[in-house]
Amino acid sequence: MSITRINIGPIHPSTHGVCRLVVDVDGDTIVKVEPHIGFLHRGVEKLVENRMYMQCPPYMEKLDYVAPMSMDDLYVGAVEAALGVEVKERAKYVRVILLELQRLASHLFLIGSVGNDLGLMFTMFMWAFKDRDLILKLLEEATGQRMFYVNMRLGGLVNTLPKDFEEHTIDTLEGLEKRLKKYQAFLEKNPIFIERMKGVGVLKKEDAIDLGVTGPVLRASGVRYDVRKNNPYYVYRELNFSEKVLYDGDNLARFRVRILEMYESMRLIRAAFEKMPEGDEKGMPIRLITPKAKNRIVVVNREVPRGEGLIYMVADPEKAYRLSIRAPSFINLAALEHITKGARIADLFAIFGSLDLVMADVDR
Amino acid sequence: MQDDYANAKKEMDKLVMESLKGKEFKPNVMFGKLSELTKTMSKGIVNWSRKNSLWPLQFGLACCAIELMDFGSSRIDAERKGYLLFRATPRQCDVMVIAGWVTKSMIPEIKRMYEQMAEPRYVIAYGECATAGGPWWESYNIVKGIDQVLPVDVYAVGCPPRPEDLFLALMKLQKRIGGVIED
Repeated sequence: MSITRINIGPIHPSTHGVCRLVVDVDGDTIVKVEPHIGFLHRGVEKLVENRMYMQCPPYMEKLDYVAPMSMDDLYVGAVEAALGVEVKERAKYVRVILLELQRLASHLFLIGSVGNDLGLMFTMFMWAFKDRDLILKLLEEATGQRMFYVNMRLGGLVNTLPKDFEEHTIDTLEGLEKRLKKYQAFLEKNPIFIERMKGVGVLKKEDAIDLGVTGPVLRASGVRYDVRKNNPYYVYRELNFSEKVLYDGDNLARFRVRILEMYESMRLIRAAFEKMPEGDEKGMPIRLITPKAKNRIVVVNREVPRGEGLIYMVADPEKAYRLSIRAPSFINLAALEHITKGARIADLFAIFGSLDLVMADVDR
Repeated sequence: MQDDYANAKKEMDKLVMESLKGKEFKPNVMFGKLSELTKTMSKGIVNWSRKNSLWPLQFGLACCAIELMDFGSSRIDAERKGYLLFRATPRQCDVMVIAGWVTKSMIPEIKRMYEQMAEPRYVIAYGECATAGGPWWESYNIVKGIDQVLPVDVYAVGCPPRPEDLFLALMKLQKRIGGVIED
């Protein structure tokens, strides 16, 4: 049998960004996939070395442009750990609310693109994006920005929540919960969808651990690991967060785990609103920051929608001496070669999409 | 619907009348003038139809591509102005929206895409990075604005610009193409 080499990308409508895949196929079966990355490399880690601490969040947000706030939070968390700043009690709750809203928006993005990746069902894209827009509207209400919020300050947030925010959020979530059930039924009652998703791109538990994947991809393979549970930050412990795990490890499991996570996020937001104490959530104004690094080396991890985000920072006064980012997408991309082996070429982008990669996060 | 039809008809009539302005008709040179007349008329008609069916290329680089997808979704009904038929191949497209920062390794690819598009082709620089490098202006791997590589027709500025801004940019582009009738 002869092996054909196909070049896909770097500009391809379904690569979710700019990624080049060199695929060896034997007839219709994939023998090997080799991702070539670096088309979006811009040297964030180097740029950050020349910026003051609070000048950096806009750069960090662009790492993961589907869920910018979670990356913002990761970075600010690292700076807080380095400078030894305590987060205000109310700010913890507000952060959890905003981060979970961001997670909802991010997962809706995946749900919208999943039908697209299979080459059918543009309807789902339209529906999911409509809902994503509602959530972006909420976030805009809370932060004043539509996409890049830059809403984290040391110890709290830039903007306090507006008056009607709780009401609006609860209303939106109620509608979303109903519609999410409808969306899941719409997709999963479709025999073609199940056929294309079930048993495709299987990632076994042991392989998942070996490859170091994190986030929903890992949890869909049956590993109980979620930073929110294993190393709880903010108020996730008080809100009784429980991680969602499925055991199949295929495309369908990865899709379902995200939907389950969305229900969990909605529950968390509601619970956070109930338990939220009165008070002030405003962070430290930038001019008041006394840049004395308390800890020279900090490692902070957070559960961002794509997996475990981790920042290693060597802190100098005023700015980071060295900042290293463990990007979840980069490590999840490494699993692609493993799980596409033996799959059909038509399923390649279904598998690629189910990993939910952001290329800016991969290239940094 | 009928209003639209009436409007379009009015536009066409006006276009024809405008193209007829300044023309003198003499019986003995009618034929030569007629060919000229058809030329100007068809030019107006072509421009009019061109501006009302701008097909963008389905191509995104970075963050702004997410807003580009939002532009393609249901909230903004972009189809009413004739754009929103995102095509995946450059050969069927008129407009290229550069959405995101342009790295040095992307330049040859973008150039090739641009060259594959049929003329006349238009480029919209969407977002700060495509306009002037944005926050990455100090980076070693970023081109400070796509206009160093391709001729840009319209800029939409913001980080990222709202989907409505892309709508505005496309309307500006329509104006540039011509065949504009004032109501």
